[in-house]
Amino acid sequence: MNIKDYYKFIKRVDLFILLPVLFLIFWGTLSIYSASVHEYGNLWLKQLFFAVISVFLILTFIFIDYRKLLNYSVHLYIIGILSLIYVKFFGLTILGAKRWIKLGFFTLQPSEFMKFVLLLIIPFMLQNVNLPISIKDTLKIFVITAIPAYLTLIQPDLGTAITLFLPFVFIVFLAEIPKKYIIGTVTAVIFLIPFVWNHLKDYQKNRILAFINPDADPLGSAYHILQSKIAIGSGMIFGKGFLHGTQSKLYFLPEQHTDFIFASIGEEWGFIVSFVLVSVYFALTLRIFYWGYKIKNLPGKFICYGAGGLLATQAFINILMTMGLAPVVGITLPFLSYGGSSLMTFSLIIGLVLSVISVYKKERLQFG
Amino acid sequence: MFKFSRFQVVLLFMFLLYFIIIFRLVHLQVIKGSYYREISENNYVRLFTINPPRGKIFDRNGVLLAYDVPTFSLSALPYIVKKREDLEQLEKNLKDYLGIELSPKVQESFEKGLITKIIVHENLTDKQLKRFFNNSYLFKGFYVEVVPKRKYTEYAKYMPHVLGYVGYPSKKDLREKPYLKPDMIVGKSGVEKTFDEYLKGEPGAIAVIVDALGRQKKVLWEKQAKRGNDIYLTIDARLQKIAYDSFVESGQKSGAVVVVNPQNYEILALLSYPTYNIQKFTDGLSAKEWKKILNNKYKPLFNKALNGLYPPGSIFKIIVGAGALQEKIITPYTKIQSGPSFSIGKWTYRNWNPAGCGEITIAQALEMSCDTFFYQVGLQLGVDRINYYTYKFGIGEILNDEIEKKRARVPSPDWKMQRLNEVWFYGDTINLSIGQGYLAITPFDATKIVVPIANGGKVYKPKILKAYFSNKDQRLYKMPDVFLRDVDVNRHFINVIKKGMYLVVYGKRGTAKRMADAPVKNAGKTGTAQVYRYLKRKQKHDKWELKDHAWFVDFYPYKKPKYAVSVFVEHGESGGRVAAPIVKSIIEKSIDENIFIPGN
Repeated sequence: MNIKDYYKFIKRVDLFILLPVLFLIFWGTLSIYSASVHEYGNLWLKQLFFAVISVFLILTFIFIDYRKLLNYSVHLYIIGILSLIYVKFFGLTILGAKRWIKLGFFTLQPSEFMKFVLLLIIPFMLQNVNLPISIKDTLKIFVITAIPAYLTLIQPDLGTAITLFLPFVFIVFLAEIPKKYIIGTVTAVIFLIPFVWNHLKDYQKNRILAFINPDADPLGSAYHILQSKIAIGSGMIFGKGFLHGTQSKLYFLPEQHTDFIFASIGEEWGFIVSFVLVSVYFALTLRIFYWGYKIKNLPGKFICYGAGGLLATQAFINILMTMGLAPVVGITLPFLSYGGSSLMTFSLIIGLVLSVISVYKKERLQFG
Repeated sequence: MFKFSRFQVVLLFMFLLYFIIIFRLVHLQVIKGSYYREISENNYVRLFTINPPRGKIFDRNGVLLAYDVPTFSLSALPYIVKKREDLEQLEKNLKDYLGIELSPKVQESFEKGLITKIIVHENLTDKQLKRFFNNSYLFKGFYVEVVPKRKYTEYAKYMPHVLGYVGYPSKKDLREKPYLKPDMIVGKSGVEKTFDEYLKGEPGAIAVIVDALGRQKKVLWEKQAKRGNDIYLTIDARLQKIAYDSFVESGQKSGAVVVVNPQNYEILALLSYPTYNIQKFTDGLSAKEWKKILNNKYKPLFNKALNGLYPPGSIFKIIVGAGALQEKIITPYTKIQSGPSFSIGKWTYRNWNPAGCGEITIAQALEMSCDTFFYQVGLQLGVDRINYYTYKFGIGEILNDEIEKKRARVPSPDWKMQRLNEVWFYGDTINLSIGQGYLAITPFDATKIVVPIANGGKVYKPKILKAYFSNKDQRLYKMPDVFLRDVDVNRHFINVIKKGMYLVVYGKRGTAKRMADAPVKNAGKTGTAQVYRYLKRKQKHDKWELKDHAWFVDFYPYKKPKYAVSVFVEHGESGGRVAAPIVKSIIEKSIDENIFIPGN
């Protein structure tokens, strides 16, 4: 390829997606530096390393035709499932959960990467369906989603297991699944849960609670939310300033560099930056949904819908959690939380979306 | 009516989430911002965990065994202490005012300024408390906590192995049970551990705003601690004490006594001797005391009753006899010539009594514990069928994992091949027939031999928890008796074995004739198990470690048994002479103390 070709590719990149994402990755590294430098030393260097890799991944995807990737989705899916099984038996145990594979200096979390794989295999399986989606196809992709979600749940990791279902939910909903199935499922779940729950013994309930959510210790989670609220609130309008957050410096905040990174940002940067960040997520989501709406090719459409739904819901639930409006389930804030697996996964997803848009623009130029 | 498309619904959902977040941000950071700023700047929010009192432990009659008392500990938050930056002055103050010296661990955490609280000193005296509160301005970051401590009553001293002890969770506990905190008290062994779920209660926590002196100003959030549930054991504390006293009076150094109710397998007493001081153990031992306990050759910490594996010797003949009758190897009337020795091939197996036994029935063979009789019967029965009945009686099986931790070793040809890479010889079967060789059981397993004989062939699930009181439901839950199975031996044959055990005590040639003058009709079986098989005959073995183990199993009253007892005396030399008198003493004492009234 000569320079002209590169230029053609770069012209097809949607900057309304690329720039906000780079902005988020930049803020993420900055905030992790502030939230962790006093306690973990050079943890931020690791994050910087992953940030560079992630930017590289996104830029690489611009040159890849996602339709070629779709053909490998089954292979990737099998590799993903195998690595989840591997984790179950040989995984690294941290705080009672087996989620990680140790690779020398780094640890990888296969359940995170599974989000990317699901965003490939679900559109791949739905490439020739007629809308509205049939119940048979819905069940098929439900099973495809439930297998990795179950393997993740038993690690145990409730938070990631729930987020694995988000692409499925958004894609099926937007693929016009008949209303009666939605109402039926929701009613069944709502009526069944209290019925089953009431028939459990106390110790069984405790065991289930401890099983599905070991991170939330019975003493701590309410206290952690309180501390998180104090951190965010004490940021006021302009924040306490970079590296001047006292809540996080005094170790009051749990997981201040991972799940509670937003509290640390809220404390140091205040309302203005918090507002901007939330708005960036929102704008990014709208933009991805816009492309999903516009693109008529089914796999491309579903990739956008799934990716947008996953990104927005995970980000918003995480932020609501730090502000005491959602239960504490361990999920990360995309692009901002510490963790190479999460950052790389969301970068792969954004790269995929950019590829979809790029292909769409290219074909419109050719045929339009 | 306007109808939303699916796409619009999703967009609406996103808008909704977005606005909720923005409103919340405004609420927290703009409207209540200065309130939170003040809390955070003074950083006076503290979280204190509150350990609830553990449940009490009672015996079957409501005799208190273990309970919690409140004590005061001096704790500190190292990151606040560090801010003072004059640790030397602090150390001096602690010493001058409170007489407390810092341990290296506490010192280190102060220097590092760790976030997690650390206990500086436990069991503060009234004087120390007063001085601390009068001079609290000198001790920023320090505070006094109420910590429940486990106390054991007088009766508990006779059953340290049953009760176990409590302590802080190990690293393994913390990893496996994420709901535990490092400063919670958990059961570490015995029923304290087994029934920790009932006893532990639920810890509480309180988040408060404190002033510069560490005084509470406002409670932000609180979770009440819930005290643990009380439990009632099947143990009879008086009988346990009697078992202890009887063992002590025997003058023996080491062993175990287990008393159970054969009609439902409730454990009434479970003694491992020697015992250790359970209170000292919980309060913390000095290094010297530890060393003394660990070096004691009679192993006081080891629960021999449940975890010690020893060859059972002749008490095992009960099972071999029952199996032989059921398998029609012999009838109750079959007489077998049993001489002073039995030979197979070039090997000769002797009877313990060189005079031999003569031509005798199974009941007589039990009476005089005739080895040569059981060699012949056991060989015909064969190892597989012996093992079948052994397992039927529950030996080699854990009938209740709340009680038993150790499985008996029941050797078989497969086992021998796997373990020792040797084939099974007839000699192994012969040894097994008299409870020697590779067979090894716990003193608790010995009750499994005698219970089905006493109750007519039934195997129950052993029971040590009689009931627990649920604080939540405000009611007592009783644990049911659990019938497991029959031993698969005809009742008539069980009665033949029973008769044989009666003759052990009352027969002319009985091996436990000492029991005949016990104040209640009873039946038993002695066992004397060789420890070193290769000692030459008549070789003097005076050393304690080389003496035979002594066993005695017994049940009484003979007609309607209410008690089944197993006594094991480690290196006690003789079942009849050493172990049986301990049972007799237990019977006499329990009648004296009106625990057991014969003929009732």
